Amino acid sequence: MTEASTTSRPGLVEQVIRRHPDPVSVRFRGLSDRTIAWLFISPTIVLLLAINLFPLLWTVYLSFTNYRANRPNAELRGMGTTYYEQILSDPDVWESMQATAHFVIATIAIETVLGFAIAYLIDRKFRGHAFWTTVILIPMMLPPAVVGNFWKFLYQPQNGLFNAIVAPVLGVSPGSFQMLGDVQLAPWSIIIVDVWMWTPYVVLICLAGLRSIPDYLYEAAEVDRASPLRQFWSVTLPMALPFIMLAVLFRGIENFKMFDLVNLLTSGGPGSTTEVASITLKRAAFESWRTGYASALAVILFVTVFGLANIYVKALNRVKQR
Amino acid sequence: MIVDEHSRRTNIEARPPGFVSGLLRLRRAPWEMVATILIGAGVVMLMQPLSIDLYGWSFAVILGGTAMFLVVSHFPD
Amino acid sequence: MPALSTAHSVVAPSSTSRWIAGTIVITYAVITMIPLVWIVLTSFKTPPDSIAYPPKVVFEPTLEGYCNLFTTRTRQPPEYIASLPPAEDVCDEIARSRNMVIAGPSNVVPRFVNSIVIAFGSTFLAVLLGTLAAYGFSRFKVPLKDDLLFFILSTRMMPPVAVAIPIYLMYRELGLTDSRLGMILLYTAVNVSLAVWLLKGFIDEIPREYEDAAMVDGYTRLQAFRLTVLPQAATGIAATAIFCLIFAWNEYAFAVLLTSGEAQTMPPFIPFIIGEGGQDWPAVSAATTLFLVPIFVFTILLRKHLLRGITFGAVRK
Repeated sequence: MTEASTTSRPGLVEQVIRRHPDPVSVRFRGLSDRTIAWLFISPTIVLLLAINLFPLLWTVYLSFTNYRANRPNAELRGMGTTYYEQILSDPDVWESMQATAHFVIATIAIETVLGFAIAYLIDRKFRGHAFWTTVILIPMMLPPAVVGNFWKFLYQPQNGLFNAIVAPVLGVSPGSFQMLGDVQLAPWSIIIVDVWMWTPYVVLICLAGLRSIPDYLYEAAEVDRASPLRQFWSVTLPMALPFIMLAVLFRGIENFKMFDLVNLLTSGGPGSTTEVASITLKRAAFESWRTGYASALAVILFVTVFGLANIYVKALNRVKQR
Repeated sequence: MIVDEHSRRTNIEARPPGFVSGLLRLRRAPWEMVATILIGAGVVMLMQPLSIDLYGWSFAVILGGTAMFLVVSHFPD
Repeated sequence: MPALSTAHSVVAPSSTSRWIAGTIVITYAVITMIPLVWIVLTSFKTPPDSIAYPPKVVFEPTLEGYCNLFTTRTRQPPEYIASLPPAEDVCDEIARSRNMVIAGPSNVVPRFVNSIVIAFGSTFLAVLLGTLAAYGFSRFKVPLKDDLLFFILSTRMMPPVAVAIPIYLMYRELGLTDSRLGMILLYTAVNVSLAVWLLKGFIDEIPREYEDAAMVDGYTRLQAFRLTVLPQAATGIAATAIFCLIFAWNEYAFAVLLTSGEAQTMPPFIPFIIGEGGQDWPAVSAATTLFLVPIFVFTILLRKHLLRGITFGAVRK
């Protein structure tokens, strides 16, 4: 700023010449924009090619072989699309996809409604709302593994804090149910933790959506004598919808590949009631060491997430234009 | 067609071309919509509890939708 | 009509509705804080108190959890303990009262050091690469720009378990298994995508006129970048660095699948802090408390930029 204004006074050309007596050499010393662009961008691209794209292509290759990571010297055989056909007709994998769906749908439904409601209330701008917003946002910044681990402590049957608080509300004894060990309750115990942790994410995005609504829309609605309820349905909700969609999509992708919370809380158990896709994948890859098979499942998950990421970026651009 | 050209040149936000004509003229928005629906349908097929045959075809649908998305996102706006 | 500007509705929310909104939000905030408060409390309990029934809200605080976290202990006969010279510190005293002697330091300090080294190493690299790439994408015509940016973002969204399979094989070939360097490179790759997107948002907001003016002055493009863009992007770079730090600090899936000892960070280590007869919950809580303190500080520092961070720089306000 100051640089520009001081130089414009004595005349630009003189200034340039005074500082650099030989203007031609300046052009040679300075790299061309094209070179700089590639110089700046290529390290990132090279790193991502080496640590992301190359392993990905390797996974695709392995998914067509019978490779096993624990027997690296065994004879390698091509399997064609056998593993894909196996996975896509295996009722167990199908069931783990349904467990994933159950988890994704329940968490998104609760987090969206709760998150939007909290954001709406924060937007009433009561005294101290900035401070309380920061407090509310804390859970989503925490390490999921540590969160999962201490919720396991809270969920302990008998002496856990969760049972001690919830049981009196429900009018049952604290020892009469266990969240993590029960086939019916285990999925919900994970959903509760996810809601605790990630509702703040939805709150934050919905808050941005609500604050992006221009005041004149409400003024116009007021002129039309629209009731508050009608204002909510015809102004607030439609205007905030792109933001809600963004939150839903991102939470959907994140929970579709959810690993850390589930691995810490139940590791897929009891039985396989909470075995979501990532846990199935971990078991195949790192417990039974069927690397080829696991690679095929990994490719299926990759492609799904990649497809959803396309939609997410589209939603992101829509919000950006606001 | 003429109206569209005119609005593009003068930068006036005219009514977007219809969905079908957008498809016919290989415009980005409607084709992206088709790809999005395909991916969404594939994901639903992958995780629905009703038919294992739908589950079996889900990956093909997602793969098709994703590939289509990559191609049509390069269509003109 | 000052009320107009303070609220979205022309009719400003009445004081009653504000009061109700405030009460509900504060109640929610307090409820969500209960688990965290409970963990901090538990870290000051004795092991029996921590699993007492009904759960103890009032208890006598002790440092036993913290002592157990940092030491390993062996059980000894009381006669042997009586024959020892007087206890040197609090931890010694507590251990002896449980018929134990301290055998040595536990693994927690090396794990903590791993977390710090890996988090800072990967953050430094990611921010360095990210700043350069973001500037490149922000200022120059790059062929296939949108595709490259999408590729960069999509790498971050991939399921970590799926990525871990080939990385595990690749690191085994390269001898990077369970090494800090391997983890730093991996976290850099994951973080650089966030860094590029976030920093591109920040740099896009810096007017090009500054660089143009500097270049008219005879500075080269690189000098203009160093002297005008970097200083103005400082806040953005700091915010991005904190986001990268938090990610690397929190990461679990790669750490648990790819490290087992040498390079293990805190998240996969904490669940395995075991005392006699299962998990030593006060020690686990102590580790959790210590591990979470930096996150609290960072969250407060970042509160103005959180929204950008979680939307990859797309939503700014």
